[in-house]
Amino acid sequence: MAVVIKPKKFFEVCVEAELTPELALRSVDEVKKFKVYYGNKVVELGELFEVAKQGDEKKLILDGDFSRVKWIGARMVDGEIVVKGSVGANCGAFMRGGKITIEGNADDWLGIEMAGGEIIVKGNAGNLVGCAYYGDAVGMTAGKIVIEGNAGNYVGEKMNGGEIVIKGNAGDFIGTEMRAGVIEIHGSCGFVGGDMRGGEIRIKGSFELLPTFKKTEKGWVGDVNVKGEGVIKTF
Amino acid sequence: MLWIRNGIVVDPKNKINAEKMDIFIKNGKIVEENEVKKEECKVIDASGKLVVAGGVDMHAHIAGSKINTGRTMRPEEMRVVRNIAGKFRATVGRVLLTAPAIGYEYAKMGYTTSFEAAQPPIGALHTHEELDAIPMIDKAALPVFGNWHLVFKCIEEKNMEKLKALVAWAIERSKGFGVKVVNPGGVEAWMYGGNVKSLDDQVPGFNVTPREIITWLIKANEELGLPHSVHLHCNNLGVPGNYQTTIESIKLAKGFSNAKRQVLHVTHVQFNAYAGSSWRDAGSGAAEIAKVVNSMDNVTIDMGQPIFGHATAMTGDAPFQFSLHKLIGARWSNKDTEVETGAGIVPIGYLPNNPVHALQWAIGLELGLLVDSNKVALTTDYPNGGPFTEYPYVMAMLMSKKMREGELSKVNAYVQKATGLASIDVEKTLYEVIHMTRSLPAKILGLENKGHLGIGADADIAIYNLNPLETDTSKEFEKVYKMFKSAEYTIKGGEIIVKGGELVKEVYGRTFWVDATKKADIQAVMPDIREYFNYYSVQLGNYGVEERWIKKPARIEVV
Ligand SMILES: [Zn+2]
Repeated sequence: MAVVIKPKKFFEVCVEAELTPELALRSVDEVKKFKVYYGNKVVELGELFEVAKQGDEKKLILDGDFSRVKWIGARMVDGEIVVKGSVGANCGAFMRGGKITIEGNADDWLGIEMAGGEIIVKGNAGNLVGCAYYGDAVGMTAGKIVIEGNAGNYVGEKMNGGEIVIKGNAGDFIGTEMRAGVIEIHGSCGFVGGDMRGGEIRIKGSFELLPTFKKTEKGWVGDVNVKGEGVIKTF
Repeated sequence: MLWIRNGIVVDPKNKINAEKMDIFIKNGKIVEENEVKKEECKVIDASGKLVVAGGVDMHAHIAGSKINTGRTMRPEEMRVVRNIAGKFRATVGRVLLTAPAIGYEYAKMGYTTSFEAAQPPIGALHTHEELDAIPMIDKAALPVFGNWHLVFKCIEEKNMEKLKALVAWAIERSKGFGVKVVNPGGVEAWMYGGNVKSLDDQVPGFNVTPREIITWLIKANEELGLPHSVHLHCNNLGVPGNYQTTIESIKLAKGFSNAKRQVLHVTHVQFNAYAGSSWRDAGSGAAEIAKVVNSMDNVTIDMGQPIFGHATAMTGDAPFQFSLHKLIGARWSNKDTEVETGAGIVPIGYLPNNPVHALQWAIGLELGLLVDSNKVALTTDYPNGGPFTEYPYVMAMLMSKKMREGELSKVNAYVQKATGLASIDVEKTLYEVIHMTRSLPAKILGLENKGHLGIGADADIAIYNLNPLETDTSKEFEKVYKMFKSAEYTIKGGEIIVKGGELVKEVYGRTFWVDATKKADIQAVMPDIREYFNYYSVQLGNYGVEERWIKKPARIEVV
C-alpha cells in the first residue's frame, strides 16, 4: 500500500509538508486531503501533488523534484520514504525511526535532532546536518545519516549521539559543541570540533585543527577551552 | 457611548465591593448617567458578571534593548505561533512575545496598561519605537538612574539642585515616566568586573555609596514631585541572604513622606527575599520583609512571582546576570554597559522539582500573602519570573489555600522546611486581588484615572464571566483562573477590543511621559551634561526622543 506522490507543477514558493509513511495507511482520497502549507496558505496535498497507490508496504515514494518541499519525514517513527529526486530543508527532522533514502541532494537541516532511524543521501547535503534546531541545546541523539556526496558547514553541531558518515568533503565547523556520537568524513573538511565536549570525529583527508586540541595516543583531544574530551583522529 | 448594564462591580478605590450597578461611557471616559443619551448607547448586558477596571501592570519588560536582545538570543521562543496574519497582525512567541502579541495578550486577559520598567536613557528612542508597536494598551517607560556617572557626580558634589535638574532633563529627553534604580552602584562596579555587596560599599571611581544614591534620588524625586516614587531594584539581587539588604534599603524611606503615595517602591521583591548563606541552605526572608513593609506607611512592593516553565532573565543588573549565567550555564548577553547603565540577558526555566526554583516560587507567594493588600502589587517581573499571561494563576493562588495545597504537593519538598508557605492560612479576597492588580498599581504609579471606575476615570474596563456573589474563590479556584485568563469583554478608552476572549478591534493606547522641567533649573546641570557628552557615542543634539516622534504621546506636566 505504498503511496506514490508526484509534484503537479513547479512550486513558486516552498511547500511545507510533514509527509510521513503513516500516509501509506490511508486511502488515496484521504492522502489528497492532507493539509500542507503552500507559502502562507493551507492547502490540500491533492492540489499540489498527484497521489497513487502501489505495492503494500508502509512506504512513501516521492517521485520527482521535492527540492522546494520542506519537512519531509519530520517526526516519523517507522516505515520508509524514498525520494527519487532532491529534497528541501528539514528532511527527517526529529525522526525517531524508519528509513529515508534520497536519490538526489538534501537541503539544509537534514535530520536535525534526529533520535533514531536512518537517512541515506545519494547526492550532496547542505549545512547543519544532524544539528540542533534554532536555539535548542541538543542536536542529533541517535540514528545514522550517510551522505554519499559532500556536506556543508555545521555538520553535527551540538550532536549528542548517533552517527554521521560523509563519503565526500564537508565544510567548516564540523562537530561544534558536540557531546557524543561519531562523525566520519572520508574526504576533507575545514575547522573541526570547536567547543567539543565529547564524541569522536574521524577524518580521512585534510582538515583544520584548532589550537585548543592536544595530541594524545587516542588522537587530538579537546576542546580544552571547555574542558572537553572529544577526540579528533585520522583514519 | 456605552452602557454597561447590571454588572457586579468591584472597584476598591471607590470602596465598591460587588455591587450591582450600571456604568456609562462617553468620549473614552466614565461619566454620570445623565451625561449620556441612553437611546444612543451601545448596551452591554453584564448581568451576573464581574465588572472591574482594566488591569495595570506596573512592572514588566515589554520594550527596548533587553527584550529585543532576548528575542534575538532565543529563536526557540519564536516557534509558538499565536496569531496568523489576517484581521490582526501575525504574532509569535512562547514567553518572549513579539510587540503586537504583548498588546493582544494583555487585552485578552483584561489588562489595559503596562509599564516598561527599565529604560536605558540612551536607548529611549528604541524603547519608544517598540512601545509604539504594541497595540491595545497604554504604556510608559521608567528610565534608569542608579548607575549613571552624572548622577554620581551630582551626589559627590552634594548638589541637590543639579541632581533634580539632571533627573528632570533626562526624563524629558527620554520621554520617560519616573526614576528607576537598578542595583545602585553595582552596575558601575560591573564595568570593572565587580559588584557592590552592601549599602555602604564605595562605588569604584566615585565617592558615593548605594545608600547615598538611593536617598539622594528619593529626595530629588520628592522635591520634583513626580507622579511615581523612586522604583528600586535592590542591591544583591539573587544572592542568598539578601533579604537583609532589602530591609535596609526599605528603611531608607523613613524620613520622607508624600500625602498621595509611597516614597519608595521596591520591585520584584521575591528575587531579593532570600535567607541563608548559599543556595544549599537558602530559605525565605519573606516574613521579615513583610513585617517591615507592613510597619511602614510610605513603602510599597511588587511580587516578582516566578511561574513554573520558561522565562528569560533580563535586568539592568549586569553583574547579577553574569553570575546567573555562570551558575546555570545558559546563554548570556551583556547589554547597554556604558556611562548610564548596564544590563544582561540569560534564558532560564523554573522547574517545580528544582529546590531553588520551588523556593523562589514559594517566596513570591509568601510576599503576596503576608504583605498588606494595600502595599503589594501583583507582578511576575515579565519575563524574569515568567509570562504575564499567568497573572490569573497568581490571583487564584492568593485567593485559595486549597489551590496552594494542591500546587505545594507537586513541588520540591525543600519549600516545606525553607519557607512558611504551607502554614499561611491567608486567603485574599476578590476585592483585595482586584486592588492588587488595578487600583493599587495605578496608585503606586500616580495614575489618577487608571485602575478604578469612578466618574472621570479612563474607560478601561474588564468584564469577566464570574459572578462574585455566587463564586467561592477559595474552592472554585479552577473557575477563577479560567475566567481571569480570558475576559468576556475588554474595553479600552471606551472601545470594545475583546469580546468572548477574542480580539475584535485593534486600537493604540497612549504613551505617558512626565515633564518636570519647570520644577528644576535645567541650566544648572547643562555644563556637566555637555562635558559628559564628550564620552557619549551620540551627540547631545541627537540624544533623546521628541514628542512628535511618538505615536500617541500623553504628557503629564508636574507643576
Ligand atoms: Zn524588572
